[in-house]
Amino acid sequence: MKLLTDEVRALVGSKRVYTAPEEFGGAAGRYFGLAIGDHNPLYSDPEYARAQGLRGVTAPLTLICETNQYANLPIPADGYAGHEWGIEIPGTRKVRGGNSYTFHRRIRPDDVVTATWEITDVTGKTTRSGAEMLIISSKATYTDRNGGLLAENEETIIFVELEGGQ
Amino acid sequence: MTEAGKYAVGTFSVGDTVPPLERRIGLADMVAYAGATWDWYRLHYDPEYVKKAQVPGPVVDGQVFGALLVEQIQDWLGPQSFVHKLDFTFKALVFAEEIVRCEGSVTEVGEDYLVLEQRVVVVGPDGEAARVAAAPARARVLLGTPDGPAAG
Repeated sequence: MKLLTDEVRALVGSKRVYTAPEEFGGAAGRYFGLAIGDHNPLYSDPEYARAQGLRGVTAPLTLICETNQYANLPIPADGYAGHEWGIEIPGTRKVRGGNSYTFHRRIRPDDVVTATWEITDVTGKTTRSGAEMLIISSKATYTDRNGGLLAENEETIIFVELEGGQ
Repeated sequence: MTEAGKYAVGTFSVGDTVPPLERRIGLADMVAYAGATWDWYRLHYDPEYVKKAQVPGPVVDGQVFGALLVEQIQDWLGPQSFVHKLDFTFKALVFAEEIVRCEGSVTEVGEDYLVLEQRVVVVGPDGEAARVAAAPARARVLLGTPDGPAAG
């Protein structure tokens, strides 16, 4: 199990914290709804949202887990301006495993989001064809300005050994 | 659903089908998604980058499947429902201009919640599932409430 080195094991417990420089804003949810083709008036019509029992407009639930808005990072050459651990493992290809979301409440335009990312586990496996895999599990916890829970996002990134270590 | 936002007993049964949600994901949608998520990863829209990655076309950001799965549920159950948990596993890449379909059914019925099994498939020319983009997917949905347990 050569991919699961002591250096990789030591990543467990690594943390990064990002606090958005401003409130989330109503346009963020409306724009995301438009982009994915979800025209639910909860994201655009405050009167409708209030009639349903909300304080006002909200955003599609998964936006908080999908956006890099809070991170406030520069745009690198590959264009991805979100949280990354910067883990590079030569001779592997990186694939995404999946996501597990828990939503605690709907986001509001005046929320200021803090995202706390942590590496929770690293595991080594071998595929049926004999290639090694390294599975990195992370968890992001999203809170509001009072520390109240908004959502949690557990995700896995998998490094798969290339044939012949190429 | 009653005026109090509660669903009548017997409204849902295990095995009920969630109405499918179908969507063509065009390049313009993907560019809009990149802007809306502050994620300008070039694999999602840049032909030169796509060519270097040796994939057949711009790759749809997989996280959009989570958004579509929630939309499918929300469109079905209406505003007096709240997706409390959702998990999904990626199975295959989806490329610009392909059509995806979210499918699902009820696997558990509680007094104030449902558990659903879902999946996202790429729709072939014959309307059948050509390949699975995300599965399994599982959602736990709270009924009779527009917001989550931490809403206060």
